[in-house]
Amino acid sequence: MKNVEELVKKAVSRRSFLAGASTAAAATVLVGCSSGNSSTTTTPVTTTPVTTTPGQPSYADADYLNFALNLEYLEAEFYLNAATGSGLSSTDAGSGAGTVTGGGTMVTGLNSYQQANLYEIAQNELDHVRLLRSALGSAAVARPAINLSTSFSALAVAAGIVATGGTFTPFDSAADFLLGAFIFEDVGVTAYLGAAPLLTSKAYLTVAAEIMAVEAYHAASIRSQLVYLDSLAPSKPYLAYANDISALRATLGGGGETALSATSIVPCDGTNAIAFSRNVNEILHIVYATGNGAGATAGGFFPNGMNGTIKQTYS
Amino acid sequence: MANLETQQLDNIIASRRNMITLGGAALATLAFASVAKAQTTTTTLTDADYLNFALNLEYLEAQFYTLATVGDTIDSLGVGIASGDTTVAGGTVTTKNANSYISCKVPFTNPLVSSYATETASEERRHVAFLRNALGTAAVAMPNIDLFNSFNTLASLLGLGLTSFDPFADDIHFLLGSYIFEDVGVTAYTGAAPSLTVTGNLAAAAGIQAVEAYHAGLIRTTIYGLDQAATTLGAAGTASAVASAISHLRASVDGSNSVTATNPDGDDVGLTTQTVALEGASSYTASTLVNASTTGSLFPATAAGGTSGSTTFARTAAQVLNIVYAGGAAGTGGGFYPMAMNGNVK
Repeated sequence: MKNVEELVKKAVSRRSFLAGASTAAAATVLVGCSSGNSSTTTTPVTTTPVTTTPGQPSYADADYLNFALNLEYLEAEFYLNAATGSGLSSTDAGSGAGTVTGGGTMVTGLNSYQQANLYEIAQNELDHVRLLRSALGSAAVARPAINLSTSFSALAVAAGIVATGGTFTPFDSAADFLLGAFIFEDVGVTAYLGAAPLLTSKAYLTVAAEIMAVEAYHAASIRSQLVYLDSLAPSKPYLAYANDISALRATLGGGGETALSATSIVPCDGTNAIAFSRNVNEILHIVYATGNGAGATAGGFFPNGMNGTIKQTYS
Repeated sequence: MANLETQQLDNIIASRRNMITLGGAALATLAFASVAKAQTTTTTLTDADYLNFALNLEYLEAQFYTLATVGDTIDSLGVGIASGDTTVAGGTVTTKNANSYISCKVPFTNPLVSSYATETASEERRHVAFLRNALGTAAVAMPNIDLFNSFNTLASLLGLGLTSFDPFADDIHFLLGSYIFEDVGVTAYTGAAPSLTVTGNLAAAAGIQAVEAYHAGLIRTTIYGLDQAATTLGAAGTASAVASAISHLRASVDGSNSVTATNPDGDDVGLTTQTVALEGASSYTASTLVNASTTGSLFPATAAGGTSGSTTFARTAAQVLNIVYAGGAAGTGGGFYPMAMNGNVK
């Protein structure tokens, strides 16, 4: 099978794709391929290329799970703080955990469904932290330092939602909370989609696919709530703000976005309706809030960088 | 070879036979657990077999959403349904009103629901086209699909006193019809993923699974939202209650044996509330937007009964078939696939 995969990857790399665009997963079906046979009676059909970036190192499963764990720490801190005003326990954050800056203010003014949904999402993300820590055992990294204050303001300025020097916090209103949640959920989906096919353990693959699906449920809920909010003619253009964030993510993270509207809730490629995936480099650029360039090791939501092996941009 | 007319008669006879044998709560007591494996004609399943299994499911979804939004079938819009090698023609689609497709066009009153329906229909059609393109000559033809007797049968099994169900009647009926499919699609792709051997196929399958999860989240959020406005479904109660009954039926009949006294949701969580602890001793009332359990043992995730905290479920092909065949036997079919699926996983 490996020989055939090499043939397919060569065919894929010759395809042109959108400049800088993160791409939906490929469909390279090798029909009738027998094991170890490099010749093909097959129809290798590629639609869009597999997301690969020259120079992406090959990582172990544990590295990818720890990468995911860093993202889950971030989401858990955000949602727990939004729900209760405080974040992860010291047990769940791990020994030697970094400091969380910001948070500490529960979101008020949510309607009953939004409140119930917030508690649900917070529990989900907490469970994801616990699940990944359990799976990794002693290899699990502790929570790195996390910034939930200036990070949001910087992101809002970069996205053009507030003027330079302005501030944004997702904890001060229901609508702002939706925008805060919007920042994370689609990114989580793309991160898991990027990593899942690279895992060697089938058990880890199943878990990754299942966590990814949960993030997609979250994202659909947040996205459709923003569309619904927009239909009520709110005082601020929250849907446009969400799309400003989406555009910023596309710039930092190599594409992989669909503008949000009532007729486009699901972010997926325009041809095959397959969800976008991102490699670790693209994810790091987004969460570190830094543009192109290798060697970024910290920034944005992770003021001291992520913990673990995968923590530095490579392009 | 049966012509179209006798094929339709066969479908009606088969589905009536199913309704007679599966009527009422008796279904829940039948030994679905004995249907351990989907029928396969080969012993070693290839990536193409699994992708064709997915294609069968996508044909069903695409036809449902397209009929709901356009009042016609996907093939009428130019999406191919014959086998990839063109030797087998696409099957029939059975609908209400003696297959009056235009009568399936939902008279949406909520513009957001209408938009979601149109978007989803487009995405499911593109999944069909994508899988057909990727499979090439190996793509199976669309099997016969039933979007009429199937819903009526499932409705009668919900334990809500319903004797029929028309998902094309209005917004809320449409959403509940959609509810039947999307979560199942998520669990089907999750269950099949570890069996895919080519990375590109796995990546594509995961990417489609993600879209199905977005759809499921969308449908569930919208049903919750409409219920906030006190939308009810007549004698059956709120839409969330009907959705929960659908989830319970799926968990009960899929052969997973996941429904227990301590785990009454089994492998399918409805639309209700749940109590979560978060980081304290307090209890918070949360929603169940996500079809996942927040209780149960942590890693590793298993399909039947055992759950990982806040992860979705996985179903084997056999378990998926138990649902979509509405209890019909593997290889024989029933429910949405009155003559079973096409391909090697059926």
